[in-house]
Amino acid sequence: MTRWSEFWKIFKEKKLGIIGIIILSCFVILAVFAPLLAPYDPSVRVAAPFLAPSARHLLGTNDIGNDILSELIFGTRISLLIGVIAAFLSISIGLLIGLIAGYYGGIIDSVLMRIVDLILVIPFLPLMIVLAAYLGPSFWNIIIVISILSWVRPARVIRSQVLTLKTKAFVESARSLGATTRRILFTHIMPGVIPLALAQFVLASSYAILVEASLSFLGLGDPFQKSWGTILYYAQARGAFLTSSWIWWILPPGFLTTLLVLGFTFTGYSLEEILNPRLRRR
Amino acid sequence: MSRFLAQKIAQYMLVIFITITINFFLPRLMPGNPLIFLAGEDVAFLTEAEKASILENYGLDKPLGEQYTIYLKNIVTGDFGYSYQKKMPIADIIKDRLPWTLLLTGSALLLSSLLGVIFGAAAAWRRGTKTDAALLIKFMFFNSMPSFWVGMILVALFGATLRWFPIFGAQKAWMPLSGWPYYADILHHLVLPLTTLVLISIPSTFMIMRYSMLNVLGEDYILMAKAKGLRENAIKYRYAVRNALLPVVTIFMLQLGYMFSGATVIETVFAYPGLGRLMFEAVVGRDYPVLQASFLIITVTVVLGNLLADLLYPLVDPKVRR
Repeated sequence: MTRWSEFWKIFKEKKLGIIGIIILSCFVILAVFAPLLAPYDPSVRVAAPFLAPSARHLLGTNDIGNDILSELIFGTRISLLIGVIAAFLSISIGLLIGLIAGYYGGIIDSVLMRIVDLILVIPFLPLMIVLAAYLGPSFWNIIIVISILSWVRPARVIRSQVLTLKTKAFVESARSLGATTRRILFTHIMPGVIPLALAQFVLASSYAILVEASLSFLGLGDPFQKSWGTILYYAQARGAFLTSSWIWWILPPGFLTTLLVLGFTFTGYSLEEILNPRLRRR
Repeated sequence: MSRFLAQKIAQYMLVIFITITINFFLPRLMPGNPLIFLAGEDVAFLTEAEKASILENYGLDKPLGEQYTIYLKNIVTGDFGYSYQKKMPIADIIKDRLPWTLLLTGSALLLSSLLGVIFGAAAAWRRGTKTDAALLIKFMFFNSMPSFWVGMILVALFGATLRWFPIFGAQKAWMPLSGWPYYADILHHLVLPLTTLVLISIPSTFMIMRYSMLNVLGEDYILMAKAKGLRENAIKYRYAVRNALLPVVTIFMLQLGYMFSGATVIETVFAYPGLGRLMFEAVVGRDYPVLQASFLIITVTVVLGNLLADLLYPLVDPKVRR
């Protein structure tokens, strides 16, 4: 392969990353300025139920007369927040476990990695459904349920990075100079792990958003803080796919979810490509 | 039996044991009356005699250790309790539902793996070209769609609007069929849920196949084959694809867990009478024992699938074969 094609490849991937960042920024703006951008309060009955789109209600109204467009705009907040908070929690746990397992090695490492192997075999979504059903539908319960199981993959990735860093000369020399374990972990190893953790965080966000959508679609989402998944739950329950209302009631929330997830995927993919030299070379 | 296999089996037994333990402790650790979590929310409608029989069945008046022994014994003997909501033993409900889920996930696993391999190999073979980029972006897009949403759109388009396919169920319950019409009817009902599950499952196989094939294409023996002047198709299929398949085989069965997660929501959309739909019904009806039993059976199925993959792997990879 020539240098040109390699250059083209990296450039293309970065372009994907830029598209990802742009998509994400749009959603953040939408979420932050939701009260200004939404034409109505999504929790208030503003018109007759099941209205088709019109100039007053661009995406019509739902089964109880809420404005669907306003629901979608406010739903951005819920879907984005749940995804990002759950991803942040999973990565924090994963970072901690990965650091401990990778740095200490030996028995601690093999016990922790055994646990990771065990958890990876269990089908995630069915277990999350069981946990969410017991805990009850709420904003924080969904976050807990997602992050309690999603830390395992990041933990593995971070552990292997720690394993490589541990053998590097600067860590060896710090140790021989008598640096404490805490100091080695936080000032020498941590900086090498953070970029990787960031890429993992971005990918975990896209995963968490999809899981949240699934759980909410199954009726496990907070009915008072409607995410896009919850909107689709009501659309399904009211049989929106049987009438033409699917075009404005079902298409938009799923499309927004896809776009948001895609934003995270593009960004994470490019980050990984840049951070992982093995991927970049090929 | 090899040591590796023995270790794997021990690990799988532990997974099932953990699942059972989670199931045991969840209803007992929740605040409030465990009777609600064991019998479902209809507990208020139960007669005193029924309540007493639940207490007796689960041994709720006994110490926790003894309860656990009773619980384990029941599960091992295939007694998952009674669904007071469906007025049926849970084991019977599961027996009705499991085959549908196996049909859906099994066929989706085969189809999506096949398509993922074909597209992955094609993309890697044309690395850096527009075809490669287009395929990559297309599958990233598929990977980002909520599975149930894809199902809802297919139902709305091909079910409700065009009326090409039925919109719910797995067969025409009111029309007893036999022979070919029976199978054709089942297939007809399967098309939409299967398409949905395949669409959202291709990307992971595609990504792995593409990456693996890219690695293989960088190997010296490919260069050697080119230098020998072998035909392009011979290099592609006999050398590259064949070797690139190994990682795909490794994850073939591991995909099963992912498949069941997808099936859970997709069955809900299509009212397909499998275990996933059963979980949804149990969530809506607060039928906790049914929820737990479905989760346990799904886990056991996934574990068995993993075991099967471990057993078959040496047949595929000559390097592991002794």
